[in-house]
Amino acid sequence: MTGHMTHPSGVILASFPERNGRPSVVYRNAGDSFLLVEFGEMVFDLTMSFRVLGLDDAIKRNRPAGLIETIPALRSILINYDCRQISVRDIIDFVEEQYEHLPPFENLVVPSRIVELPIAFDDKWTREAIARYVQYQRADAPNVIDGTNSKYAAMYNGLRDEEEFFSYIMATDWWNAALGFFPGLPFAYPLDPRYAVVLPKYNPTRHWTPAGTVGIAGPCLAIYPVESAGGYQIFGHTVPIYDPQQRNPAFRESPVLLRPGDRLRFRPRVTDEELEAMIQAVYDGTYQYQIDETATFDVGAYLRFLKEVEPEAEAFRRRQAEAAARVPVP
Amino acid sequence: MLEVRNGGFETTVQDYPGRIGMLSLGFAPAGPMDDYAFRFANVLVGNPPGAAGLEITAGGLVVAFHDERAIAICGADMGARLNGQPIELWRSYLVRAGDVLEFDYLQGAGFRTYLAVSGGIDVPPVLGSRATYLPGAIGGLEGRKLREGDRLPLGEPTTDPAQAAGRRVPASLVPAYPGYNEVWEVEATRGPQADPDYMTAEDMAFFFSHQWKLDAASNRTGYRLDIHKWQWARTSGGAGGGHPSNILDNGYPVGAVNVCGDQPIILCIDGPTLGGFICNAVVAKAAMWKLGQMVPGWSYIRFKEVTLDEAIALVKKQDETIHESNLERS
Repeated sequence: MTGHMTHPSGVILASFPERNGRPSVVYRNAGDSFLLVEFGEMVFDLTMSFRVLGLDDAIKRNRPAGLIETIPALRSILINYDCRQISVRDIIDFVEEQYEHLPPFENLVVPSRIVELPIAFDDKWTREAIARYVQYQRADAPNVIDGTNSKYAAMYNGLRDEEEFFSYIMATDWWNAALGFFPGLPFAYPLDPRYAVVLPKYNPTRHWTPAGTVGIAGPCLAIYPVESAGGYQIFGHTVPIYDPQQRNPAFRESPVLLRPGDRLRFRPRVTDEELEAMIQAVYDGTYQYQIDETATFDVGAYLRFLKEVEPEAEAFRRRQAEAAARVPVP
Repeated sequence: MLEVRNGGFETTVQDYPGRIGMLSLGFAPAGPMDDYAFRFANVLVGNPPGAAGLEITAGGLVVAFHDERAIAICGADMGARLNGQPIELWRSYLVRAGDVLEFDYLQGAGFRTYLAVSGGIDVPPVLGSRATYLPGAIGGLEGRKLREGDRLPLGEPTTDPAQAAGRRVPASLVPAYPGYNEVWEVEATRGPQADPDYMTAEDMAFFFSHQWKLDAASNRTGYRLDIHKWQWARTSGGAGGGHPSNILDNGYPVGAVNVCGDQPIILCIDGPTLGGFICNAVVAKAAMWKLGQMVPGWSYIRFKEVTLDEAIALVKKQDETIHESNLERS
């Protein structure tokens, strides 16, 4: 191990500079049961997630005794360990060894299922949540127009109208970088930067959001797995992604539908009535979730794609920034 | 079978260490808030220390027994009576079919008490644990707190109940809980986002010296402490958001002190697993039990800084303490 103590406070247990194109790594003290591993700088870079999940996969496959689990996020992995069985030093050595042997980033092919989810836009559930917000929390919220957030979302991103906004949601796959906060809640980011909409958060946050609601804040898309408070702009509804009663075969192994590294794809677009029937069928056990279990994600091909579409992506970002500057923030 | 005649304020089935290995899907471990009392109650009745028992918050529970069992109550004094006769805490008793155990409400210091029954509560494990996780509505009995009319299946005792009864935890191992308006000293290590990168050394010195008031709006998901104007080492959260307490979302250690804007919140065993605020400290695993006996709205907390090695030593010492060989015949 070549790391060194760098911190007088003892927070950083080891740090390693960038090596052979691999981002720098910092190991941060997180108590007697956890260790935080952080990669690179604190910037939004979706490609960091592929490295993180590639390493996470290697750690899981070669897990030493006492390493209980890993919690990957966009640029970090939190490790849960049993201090009676393994030392932090040994974990650092183990992770470094896995990181050293990780194939070059461009050659990574990571397991990544494709999960298709039907979506209803500006549906009755979303409208009810927004109506309650206007009635009980904030009557003059600039992000609510005609009882929806979608018109505001279109304006904020320089799009023609809510229909064009919906088409953007459906045009890109969404990379699920992490699950958490609530059971099964995905933190998903757009893979196609030409359709990467961004939105500010609610202010104040919403007291009530129905389970199944789809929303966006910043660049991140979330699906609310349970009825809860929430801060994201909301515009759609989908089938359940969490069922503690495990009533559908898709939930047989786990009450959580999604995993880190899944790609979410919103299709088909359905009406409220159609979605209602699908939700009922989920609980009857007859609904069939469309999941490609064996799909993989080729990072090299994706990087080539990013290069190809960069001029268009840049044009969209410029249009977006100009539009956002003219629109009030909540 | 254990028959619930009154569920009380909030009584749940818990086991220890709860639902482990599910953080990356968004499930907190759940389990007893005071695992010291919980484990000792199990040891007293001859169960493995982690067997499923009841967590009784504030009081009000009434249960009837339908067969011969050893029982023990450890934790806060709620004036428990067996068939109308007061019984002692931290001691095992023999109960027979028809016996009724009643809890009053809090009599003094402490907030939760634990009932262990020989054989353990035999509800079906969900995702590897019988612990009730209320935010996800799973585990325990139908993922909810107990109520009148519930019938809890019990397991087969591994030791003779008559032999297990009549033992006590020696007085030297029974913790004295600070009273209302008194200060709890809680061991904690610095967290992954402490000084000097996220907070200043002065911020951390304040954190480890201040007497923090525990807010009334505190529960198994989080313990809210008072608002403080931190100096902060950064002027903004960069890619994580506008406020210097913001970071790009990462996994949260169980027991972390999560600083959301100006407010520190201790993330308890039902807390969020991932999010975008800094964690400046992590409560030592061996000190987590203290949270379970603090009284929201009344207790004060002072964090005592320990090193990682000291925190690990505390875990090992606690495991040795909670052991059958330390019990006395009464």
